[in-house]
Amino acid sequence: MQQALPSTEPKRRSWLVILDYLFYVALAAALAGFLYYIYTFRQEALLITPYLLAGAAATIAISAVSMVLATIFGFIGALGRLSRFTVLRAIAAIYVEVIRGTPILVQLFVWYFGLSLLLARLGFSPYAVAFQFMTVLQNNSLVPDTFNGIFYGIIGLSFNYGAYLTEVFRTGIESVDKGQSEAALSLGLTSSQALRRIILPQAIRITIPPFTNYFITLVQDSSLLATLSVLELEQQTYALAFPLINSNIKLFVFIFGALFYLAICYPLALLARYLEARMAVAY
Amino acid sequence: MNPSESLFLQALPAFLLGARDTIIYCVSSFALALLFGLILALMNSSRFVWLKAPARIFIEVIRSTPILAQMFLLYYGVGAVLANVNLAYLDNAWVAGIATLSLNYAAYEAEVYRAGFLSVDRGQTEAALSLGLTSEQNFFRIVLPQAIPLMIPPFVNDFIYMLKDSAIVSVISGTELTSVLDYWSSRHGSNLFPLYLLAVGLYLIMSLPTSYVARFFERRLRAAL
Repeated sequence: MQQALPSTEPKRRSWLVILDYLFYVALAAALAGFLYYIYTFRQEALLITPYLLAGAAATIAISAVSMVLATIFGFIGALGRLSRFTVLRAIAAIYVEVIRGTPILVQLFVWYFGLSLLLARLGFSPYAVAFQFMTVLQNNSLVPDTFNGIFYGIIGLSFNYGAYLTEVFRTGIESVDKGQSEAALSLGLTSSQALRRIILPQAIRITIPPFTNYFITLVQDSSLLATLSVLELEQQTYALAFPLINSNIKLFVFIFGALFYLAICYPLALLARYLEARMAVAY
Repeated sequence: MNPSESLFLQALPAFLLGARDTIIYCVSSFALALLFGLILALMNSSRFVWLKAPARIFIEVIRSTPILAQMFLLYYGVGAVLANVNLAYLDNAWVAGIATLSLNYAAYEAEVYRAGFLSVDRGQTEAALSLGLTSEQNFFRIVLPQAIPLMIPPFVNDFIYMLKDSAIVSVISGTELTSVLDYWSSRHGSNLFPLYLLAVGLYLIMSLPTSYVARFFERRLRAAL
C-alpha cells in the first residue's frame, strides 16, 4: 500500500472555510426540514405506503426477471458477435446497433402494440396462456389483468438490455489474453471446454462492475412499463397522485415515490462502486 | 400504391416534424446540461464542503432515480404548485421536458467533466502554480484546454443517450418523434408496420451518424496521445 503523502497544494486558510462549519449546521437544518416536510404529510404517507411498497416489489421482481433474460440475450449476442460465421456476426451486429440506436420506449411500444397484435392474430396471447395455466392450478385470480403489459414489457426490457450486455460480454471475453485459449486448445481442451473452463471465469471478473451498473439503469428504466399500464412503482405513484386536487399533496406523493426508487437504487450504486474498487485491484 | 406505402408517405411529413422537435429538445437540453454540469463539477472539486456536498447530493439523487419519476415530479407535481402561484405559463411539456432532461444529464456530465479534469496530469497544475499562475489561470489556461479533447467522446455518447431518452417527453404529452408515433399508431391500429419503420428509421438516422462521429473523435484522440 502506498502511504498517503501530504498534499502538495499550498495550505491557504480562507474565511470561506468558516462556511464549512456553517454548512454542517445548514445541512442538518435542511435534513430536519425535509423530515418535517414528510411529517406534515404523515397521514397521506401512511395511506400510500402499502401501495408504493407493492409497486416497489413489482419493480424489483420485473427488474430481476428482465436482468436474467437480458443476461441470456446478451450471452447469445456476444457469442454471435465473436462467431466465425459472417451471417451470425452480421445478425448480432444489427441487433446491437438497432437496439442501441432507438429509444427503449419506442421498442416497448413495438413489442406491446405491434408484435403483440401480430402474435394475437396467430392465436398467441400471453394473458390467455397464463390464465389457462393458472386455472389448471386453480389459482387464476393471481394472474393480473395487465399480464400482457408485464409479459411484453419484460421481453422489451430484456431484449434492450441484452444488446448492451452483448457489448459488455464481448469486451469481457476479448479482454482475456489470446494465449489463454491457445494454451487451452493446445493442451487438448475442446473449444467449448476452453470457453467454459478457461475464458469465461476470467471474463466474468471484468464484466461484473458494468453488469451491476446496467442493473441499476434497468431498475430505473423499468419505470417505463408504466406506459404499458403495468402497476409498478412509477405507475402506482402516478395513479395515487394524479386524481389529487391539492397540488401540495400531489407534489409530495411524487417526491415520496421517488424516494422509494432512491432506496432501491442507491444501495445498488454503492455496491457497484465497491465491486469496481475491488476489481480494480489485481488478482 | 399499396396501403402500407401510401401510409408511409402520408405520415412522413409529420414524422419529420417530430424528429425536428426531438432535435430541438435535445440541443437545448444538452447545452443547459453542459452548463449545469460544469457548475456541478466545479462545486464538486471544491475544497469547501459547503460547495461540495450539495453538488454530491444532487448528483447521487439524480443518478439513483428514474428520469420518468423526475419528469412526472416536475410536470405534475411542481407544475401543479406553479399553477397555484400564478405561474401556469411555466406548466407545459416544453419547460418540464427541457428542465428534466437538462437537470438529469447535468449530473452525468458533471462526472464526465470530473474524469476529464482528473485525467490531466497533476504535474501540469504544479508546474503552472510554481510558475506563478493563479489557480483560476491554471484552470482556464492549462487544465481546461487539455481536458476538453478527452471529454468530447463521452459528451457525444451522452448526447446520443439524450436523443433516445427524450422519447419519454411523449409521456407528458410533449410533441416529438415518439408522440407523433403514438398519435399515428392510435389512428392506424391495423397498419402499424410502416409507422414503426418510420420512427425506428428516423431514430437510427439521428443516432448512428452521431455515434460514428464519436468513434472518429475517439480514434483521432488515441492517435494524438
